[in-house]
Amino acid sequence: MSARVAVLVFPGTNSEAETVRICRDVGLDAESVHWSKGASLPKYDAYVLPGGFAYEDRIRAGAIAAHDPMMDYVIEAAGEGKLVLGICNGAQILLEAGLVPGTGAVRKPTAAFTHNAPSGKFICKHVHIKLVAETSRCAITAALPSGTIIPAWSAHGEGRLAATPEHLNEITSGGHLAFVYAHSDGTVDDAAIPNGSALGCAGLTNKRGNILAIMPHAERDAWNFNHPDLADRENILAPSGGAILFRAFAKALS
Amino acid sequence: MALRPDELHRIAEGLGREPTTVELYAFDAQWSEHCSYKSSRHLLKQLPTTGPNVVLGPGEDAGILHLGEHNGERYGVVIAHESHNHPSQVVPFEGAATGVGGIVRDVLCMGAEVIALADCLRFGDVEDPNSHQRYVAQQVVDGIAAYGNAIGVPNIAGDVYFDEGFNDNCLVNVIALGLVKEDEIIHSRAPEGSAGWDIVLVGKATDASGFGGASFSSLTLEEDNQEANKSAVQVPDPFLKNVIMRATYRVFEYLREKKITAGFKDLGAGGIMGCTAELCAAGGFGAIIDLDDVNVAVEGLPPEVIAVGETQERLCWVLPGDVTLDVLRIYNEEFSLPEIARGARATVIGAVQAEKRYVMRHGSEIVMDVPIDFLTGAVSNELRHREPARTTPSSARNALEPGGLAQALAAINACSREPLYKEYDAVVRGRTVIPRGHTDAGVIAPIPGAPFGVALSVGGSVIEAVRKVVAVGARPIGLTDCLNFGNPNNEEHYALLAGAVGALSDEAKMFGLPFVSGNVSLYNESASGTAILSSPIIGCVGVLDDVGNVVTPALKHPNSQLYFIGTQETGSALKAESKRIAAVLEGVNDGLILSVRAIGNDGMLAAAARMAFASGNDFGVTFRDGVVPEARCHGWLVEAAEPATFEAFANRTLSREDWELVGITSVAGIDGEVDVASDGRFWDLDELHAAWVKPLAEIYA
Repeated sequence: MSARVAVLVFPGTNSEAETVRICRDVGLDAESVHWSKGASLPKYDAYVLPGGFAYEDRIRAGAIAAHDPMMDYVIEAAGEGKLVLGICNGAQILLEAGLVPGTGAVRKPTAAFTHNAPSGKFICKHVHIKLVAETSRCAITAALPSGTIIPAWSAHGEGRLAATPEHLNEITSGGHLAFVYAHSDGTVDDAAIPNGSALGCAGLTNKRGNILAIMPHAERDAWNFNHPDLADRENILAPSGGAILFRAFAKALS
Repeated sequence: MALRPDELHRIAEGLGREPTTVELYAFDAQWSEHCSYKSSRHLLKQLPTTGPNVVLGPGEDAGILHLGEHNGERYGVVIAHESHNHPSQVVPFEGAATGVGGIVRDVLCMGAEVIALADCLRFGDVEDPNSHQRYVAQQVVDGIAAYGNAIGVPNIAGDVYFDEGFNDNCLVNVIALGLVKEDEIIHSRAPEGSAGWDIVLVGKATDASGFGGASFSSLTLEEDNQEANKSAVQVPDPFLKNVIMRATYRVFEYLREKKITAGFKDLGAGGIMGCTAELCAAGGFGAIIDLDDVNVAVEGLPPEVIAVGETQERLCWVLPGDVTLDVLRIYNEEFSLPEIARGARATVIGAVQAEKRYVMRHGSEIVMDVPIDFLTGAVSNELRHREPARTTPSSARNALEPGGLAQALAAINACSREPLYKEYDAVVRGRTVIPRGHTDAGVIAPIPGAPFGVALSVGGSVIEAVRKVVAVGARPIGLTDCLNFGNPNNEEHYALLAGAVGALSDEAKMFGLPFVSGNVSLYNESASGTAILSSPIIGCVGVLDDVGNVVTPALKHPNSQLYFIGTQETGSALKAESKRIAAVLEGVNDGLILSVRAIGNDGMLAAAARMAFASGNDFGVTFRDGVVPEARCHGWLVEAAEPATFEAFANRTLSREDWELVGITSVAGIDGEVDVASDGRFWDLDELHAAWVKPLAEIYA
């Protein structure tokens, strides 16, 4: 039986449809769970927090949603070791909830994804991200060899990792850095970073490795039709590209 | 107010008395150009609006074109096109954002899921960093981005041009696409037998914003009236809209389960009055509205403000009483509208009535009581005009000096638009096939599980928009238009409008393409009497039955032969265009064409550079001696998979004068440079690309 995955919908979430779709296409039993149905959350095996602008990004992106009652269930489930994947706004919420990098107390964030630099504006750009965590470090990416390159769309106004030098140190020394921005050939330099993110960070994990917060949208470059010039045109509706991340997620849940 | 003395007289005569204050504001809105198309309707009649693909032509909030069948169900593409020029000039961020908000509601209220956006922008001279024009150009883009991104609808197409003719009046045209099953379309009218049904207002609490917007947009902008104009602009709330859209999708589902035919319409110009009057009049009914039941943001609003104010994020249902409570519960409890925005909710504000009168109550008083057809019926303003001059675009271009291509690509109207559109989310919802960028038409795969592709392009003429759609391998199926012109009471401007409609009509008929929706924006003129450059803006929808056949402009291989398909002529020679379109589509579908780009006004040389950029500067282009690529602007530049097969195909499908071998793709030379080369002239692609991306990067930093 495939794992049951809840894709959380907060007021202002906008990426639930494609997130549910890719989860289903890799074999998960996924459905969106709306904020008025939060009480049903405990029955799921894993949780995905999709992209959007939950609570209008008031205060900081993710800051209010981190206090939504749905997050009580997610925090509890994460404590039990269930898998939690946050994408874009979902990643911002996980940082604001203190779950990732998880070096402080719950709902006391030690790092944030904040306004892009230098423009301060929303930027929609195709990117590649590189898995830098060791294979055993993060359960969600355990099926992927370290160094794996994943295509994705970076589409956010607040995606720059920011933290004090001490907290950035904790992130690197604690192995919390899961993904960095890279070129398609895997080389890493400043030109590959779309938003000025500290450490070139595109994704973080927690100590236990059961939570992954990732800024770029792998689910928006996840089918052959999303990248027709690179794709197998005969199977235009088949998952590919960014789908690799979700296949790993599904494998971790199998 | 925009009502003229003769119209005031007509109102008093029609009512048999002087109108009340509320009635006066109601007629002012309803008889404005914005709502009534009084100066343009008789012209618009010329446009072709029917055809085998038309599911719903103009007349409701949006038009619908047949997309295709999947799993035994027929799907339609909903399309609406609107301008928000005046508001965007006065308060650019909010003006542009509410333009997006309005067009999204027009599509949503047809029962559709909103699937894509496009924007067509015309700004003034932005050279001076401290100019108001530059401020407008930046804020409009920020406003469109803020709204479209938050509601989660990808922006996949558009264009932008700069000219000092738009210094006092920018143009902000927006297009929205929707997806609907053809048997689930909801109409903008009270359904048959709906006398006594509830009229349910959904959305933001009514406030004083956007009061007088319909007539404001039907006047020229006067500088000394800036403050009053600002209050006529609405306040956007994309966060609330995001939730309303999702709640509305849930209501669609509920009504389908219950097999209920309801009426649904967006509140735009004319507010509650305009929307409910048109909904009920279209069904052959009257209405009675109780203004005291409207959820308001502040107490003590005058009845005319509640009645015609254009507070954003509102929609209106006509529902049978036995489902009303369930629908209210979906909006107010399941989607908790009152907790999302202060005062927001769904609420019953009146009822449909059989008697064809439009009545509004406020307190203990009847503040409006008029024959509904008189209010919503045709007013006309058929203006006399000079014989319109039909302009034909010029095709002759001069050969560029060495270095000239970099300059041409760095021109403000040719340079890369990426610094601007990268603020727009082009990929939300995961259905984007080709985002805005190297192609001139965006492509999405709108139906999960089905292979269809939908392409959308915009252009200044039918042929331009059609060529762009064809350039991604999509078959054009229909059009929209937004006619942005000056004051129609000025004979010269009216003649330009009439001439443009005639030209659009001729072009559309030539291709057998219908216009299914559109908009007119007149009075684009400032108090100083400067009108904008006349700007018809056309949207074209195309379909790919198998999106696996989509083609991009990225050059694919070294040493491929490049062909020009098109004509050097204008006017009557365009009659052969349908044949050329069919040939390009067949060539793409059969895999004979590997890459293609429509050639714009900047000519085939610029098109070649753009195809090279799209390849990541992996491949360059060398034109054959004797070919003057900058002189070609009416067709496509295509990369052939295999020259012999392509030429046999071209000989079979095209007239010999309509295609020509013009060049070959190249790779880096011994100097490591990839070039565009023509007749002994060489341009390094990296340098060209740097010049091309620079100008707007400075403005949209």
